Amino acid sequence: MRNWRAALDRRTARLPWRRATGPSWLQIAAVVVVVALVLAVTVVGLAIEESSSFVAFLATVFVAVTVIQLSGIGRWVAETFKNHSRIAAVAGVAAAFAFPFTQGGSGYWVRVFASVGVFAVAALGLNVVVGLAGLLDLGYVAFFGVGAYTGALLGGAALSPVRLQLPFLAVVLIGAAVAAGVGVIIGAPTLRLRGDYLAIVTLGFGEIFRITVNNWTGLTRGPNGVAGIPDLAAGPFDFGERHELFGVSLAGFTNYYFLEIVLVLVAILVFTRMDESRVGRAWVAIREDETAAEAMGINTTRLKLLAFAIGAAMAGVAGTVNAHVTSQVSPDSYTFIESILLVAAVVLGGMGTVPGALLGSTLLFVIPEKLRAFQQSRLLLFGIALILIMRFRPQGLIPSRRRTRELRQDDPAEGDAMGSPPSAPVTPTASSG
Amino acid sequence: MTVTGRPAVARVLQATGVVKRFGGLTAVGGVDFHVGEKEIVGLIGPNGAGKTTFFNCLTGLEVPDEGAITYRDKALPGRPHAVTKAGLARTFQNIRLFPDMTALENVLVGRHCRTRSGVFEAVTRLGRFRREERESLERAEELLQFVGLPKSGDWLARNLPYGDQRRLEVARALATDPGLLLLDEPTAGMNPHETAGVMALVRRVREQGLPVVVIEHDMRFIFGLCDRVVVLVQGKVLTEGAPADVQANPAVVEAYLGKPA
Amino acid sequence: MNQFFQQFANGLVLGSTYALIALGYTMVYGIIQLINFAHGEIFMMGAFGGLATHAWIVPDGAPAALALLMVLVGAILTSVATAVLMERLAYRPLRNAPRLAPLITAIGVSIVLQEGIRLFYPGAKTARPFPRLISGENLHLGEITIARVSIVQVLTAVVLTVGLTLFIRRTRTGKAMRATAEDPQTAQLMGINVDRIIVITFVLGAALAAVAGVLQGMRFGQIDFRMGFLMGIKAFTAAVLGGIGNVAGAVLGGFMLGLVEVLATEYLPLGSAWKDVWAFVVLIGILVFRPSGLLGERVAARA
Repeated sequence: MRNWRAALDRRTARLPWRRATGPSWLQIAAVVVVVALVLAVTVVGLAIEESSSFVAFLATVFVAVTVIQLSGIGRWVAETFKNHSRIAAVAGVAAAFAFPFTQGGSGYWVRVFASVGVFAVAALGLNVVVGLAGLLDLGYVAFFGVGAYTGALLGGAALSPVRLQLPFLAVVLIGAAVAAGVGVIIGAPTLRLRGDYLAIVTLGFGEIFRITVNNWTGLTRGPNGVAGIPDLAAGPFDFGERHELFGVSLAGFTNYYFLEIVLVLVAILVFTRMDESRVGRAWVAIREDETAAEAMGINTTRLKLLAFAIGAAMAGVAGTVNAHVTSQVSPDSYTFIESILLVAAVVLGGMGTVPGALLGSTLLFVIPEKLRAFQQSRLLLFGIALILIMRFRPQGLIPSRRRTRELRQDDPAEGDAMGSPPSAPVTPTASSG
Repeated sequence: MTVTGRPAVARVLQATGVVKRFGGLTAVGGVDFHVGEKEIVGLIGPNGAGKTTFFNCLTGLEVPDEGAITYRDKALPGRPHAVTKAGLARTFQNIRLFPDMTALENVLVGRHCRTRSGVFEAVTRLGRFRREERESLERAEELLQFVGLPKSGDWLARNLPYGDQRRLEVARALATDPGLLLLDEPTAGMNPHETAGVMALVRRVREQGLPVVVIEHDMRFIFGLCDRVVVLVQGKVLTEGAPADVQANPAVVEAYLGKPA
Repeated sequence: MNQFFQQFANGLVLGSTYALIALGYTMVYGIIQLINFAHGEIFMMGAFGGLATHAWIVPDGAPAALALLMVLVGAILTSVATAVLMERLAYRPLRNAPRLAPLITAIGVSIVLQEGIRLFYPGAKTARPFPRLISGENLHLGEITIARVSIVQVLTAVVLTVGLTLFIRRTRTGKAMRATAEDPQTAQLMGINVDRIIVITFVLGAALAAVAGVLQGMRFGQIDFRMGFLMGIKAFTAAVLGGIGNVAGAVLGGFMLGLVEVLATEYLPLGSAWKDVWAFVVLIGILVFRPSGLLGERVAARA
C-alpha cells in the first residue's frame, strides 16, 4: 500500500518544482497568489446555494488538493510558505480582513466566521491542554460556558440577575480569571489520573457545570438563560451597527469579525510562543513520558495544572466575547457535544498545530452551514467523520511532524529520507549528516 | 562542560538502612551505601537483587519504607523532580527518552530545572527568556558534543541507533547540572567497542569532577572503571570494596554462579 | 423510617441496572484497557431491538411469557450484533494506537448509534412506549411497595452475575478470558485466540446490557434514544467504584451507586434536579481517594 506512494515519488522527482525552490521573488509571488486563490475559492464556495452543488464543489477541491499533494507541488508550496512565513502571515491576515468586503454588504458569512473565530480561540486553548500537554479534557466547554456567563452577568444584560455593567476589557479579564480558577479547582485533584480516567472525569465536570447552571436559577436564571446582552461599545463606536469602510457598507457583525481576527492572532501568538519555549518543551515531555519528565526535574503536577489553567483562561476569553456575539447564553449551548466538537476541531485539524486548529474550527462551522439539506443528519455525519478520521488519518488534516509519528503505526518503509545518522559506524562514503 | 562548582563534602551521598517492600517481597532489605567525591562506584548483583529499586529509592521514584538518605549532608526531598533539582540525575535501565522530540530537545528538557522562564516570559519574550534560551541551547550543544553526538541534534530520539540513545540519555541527565550521576545499565546490549566508548565517556564525566554510581552487569566495565564496588544480593549488601578484592571473593562468585552441587 | 427502606429498595432496583451495564464496561476494560464509551448505546440498542421484535415479530395475542422470551432474544441479538460490528470495524484496527484514537472513535460510535436510532427508527424522535410484559399488582413487603418487574430486575442481576462468575471461573473460555485479561501476549503464546476472546467479552457484555435494556423498558414503559448516554457514564462510575476489571466489583459498585443516588436525592437538600450529579461526585471521589476501587482493579499493564 505504501509502495505506490514511493513509486509516485520517484516518478515525480524530476519535475521542476521537486528539484529546486526557485528565486526569492518567485516564492513571494507564489505565496501571495496562493493566499489570494484560497480566498477566492472560499468566497466562491460559500456562495454556492444548493447543497448538492456544494458537495460537488468540495469533491473538486479535494481532488485538486490530492493532485497537488501527489505531484509534489504541495511540498513546494509548504516550503515557500516556511521560507517566507512572515509574508505568508501578513497575506493571510490581509485576506481575512478583506473577506467581509467580498460579501456585497451581506453579513451572513461574516457572522458565521465571527463564530468560527470565537471557536478557534477556544480550540487553541484546548490545543494547549490536549495537543501540547496531552491531557484529554472532555468537559472543556465548561470553561467556555463560565466565560460566557461571566460576560452575560457582568456585561449589563437586560435580563440578568446581576445588575452590573463593567467595561468590556475588565469583563474579559474576569472571565478568563474565573475560568482559570475553575480549571485549577477541577484540575488539582484529577490531573494525576491516567488518560482515559481523566477524560471521563472531565466529562463529569462538564455535566456538573451544565446541571449546576441549569438549576442555580438565582444566579443564572436556569434554563431560560440570560438574554439581552448588549453589543460591545468602544466609546461611541457601537459594534452592533452597520459601518462604512472604504466606501463599502458592512453589516453589523463585521465589527465582531474584525475583533475576532485580532483575538485569534493574539491566541496564535500566545500559543506559538508557549510551544517554542521551556514550558512548551516541558509539556511535550510530560505528554511523551511523564515519569521520565519528572525524573528530569519537571514538576509535572504544577505544569499540568498550568496547562489546564491556561487552556481554561483562553476558553474563558472566547466565551466572554461569544456572549456578546450571540447576545444570550443558556445552559443547552454548553453540552457534551460542544466539548466533543472542540476536541474534534483540535484532533481532526491536526493535533498540536495552529493551522490544524484553525482549519478544524472552520470546517466544523462552515460545512454544516453549507449542507443545510442535511440538517437533520449533521450529528450523524459528524460521528461517522470521527470514526473514519481516527481510522484512516488519525494525525489530522495538517499533521505536526511529531504527531505523524506518534499516531501512525510504525512502518519501517516510511523511515526518514535522510539516510543514516552521522554518528553511526562510518561507511566508506560518509554521509554529510 | 562546566565543572560543578560545589563545595567538597566527605560524603556526597549517604544512605543508611534503606528498606523497600512490595507487599510480601522485600526488594531492598536494609542497605547502607555511600559515595565520596570524584568516586566511581559500581553497584553489581544478580538480576532481581534490588539494584534498580534502590536507585528508585534514591531518586524518589519509590518511597522507601525505612532508612535515611542524605545528599551532601542534606536530607533529600520527596518528589523526583525535587531530587533532580537538588542534584541527583539518572538514566534508566530501559531507555526512557522522549521519543518524538529531537536529541537537542531531549537535552534541553534536562535544562528545565536550572532555568526559570515561565509562561509570562515565554509569551512576552523578555530579555531573560532570550538569554536563558540561548544559554540552554549552547549548553545542550556542548553536552551533545561531550557525549559524542555532535551532529545528531536534529534527529528524533526514536530514530537514533541504540548506542546513541544511551549516550543521549547521559547527555540529558548531565543537562540537569547534577552533583551525582546515577547510571542504570548504560552498556546493556552493547558490543565491546561501544562499551569501551561508554567507559571513556564515564571517565570524562569523572574528570569533570562528578561522582558516578553505575549499575552494571558487564564485569570488564566495572573492574576497569570503578574505584569501589558494592555487591547487592537479594536486597542486601553482600560485600563491598576495591574491584580486585570483590572479584576474588568466593561469596560473590557463588551469588552469581551458585554453589557447585 | 419506612421512607428509608422504601428508598433503599428503590436504590437496589436502580443499582441492578447499573450493575448489569457495569459488567460490560469492566470486562472490556479488563481485557483491552478501553473505556467502551459506546457501551451505554449498546444498552439502548438492546432496548430498541426488543421493542422492534415486539412490534414486528411477536404475533398479536401471544402469551406474555412467550413474548418476553422473544423480546429478550431479539434484544440480545441486536446488541450483540452491534457490539461485534463495533469491535470489528472501529476498535480492532486501533488496537495498538495510543489511547486517544480508540476513545475518540468510541465517542464517534456512540454518536452514530444515537443519531442512527433517532433518524431511522420510526418515531424515535420522541420516547417510544415499551410493552409491559411483566405486569400485575405491585408487591407489598411490609411498608415497602415494589413493582413486580423491579423484583425481576434485581433477581436477574443477581442470577446473571452468578452465572457470569461461574462461567469465568469454571469454563475453558472463562479461563482463557482471565488469562487474556492478565497478559494477552502470553495468552497468545499459550494458544489462546485472543481476538476471539475479545469478541466473546464484548458479546457477554452486550447480552447483559440488552437484558438490562429490556427490563428498563418494561419498568418505565418507554425508551428513548438518549437513554444510553447518562446511564453509560453512571454504569462506568459503578465499575470504577467497585474496581475496574473486577466482576464482583462491578456488581457491588452498581448497587452502591444506585443506593447513593437514591438516598442522596432523598435526604440531601438539593433535590431531584441534582440527582445525576451524585454519580459524578462519586466518580471523582473514588478516583481521587481510592482509584483502584473498593475491591481492587484487575487490569493488565498495557505493554
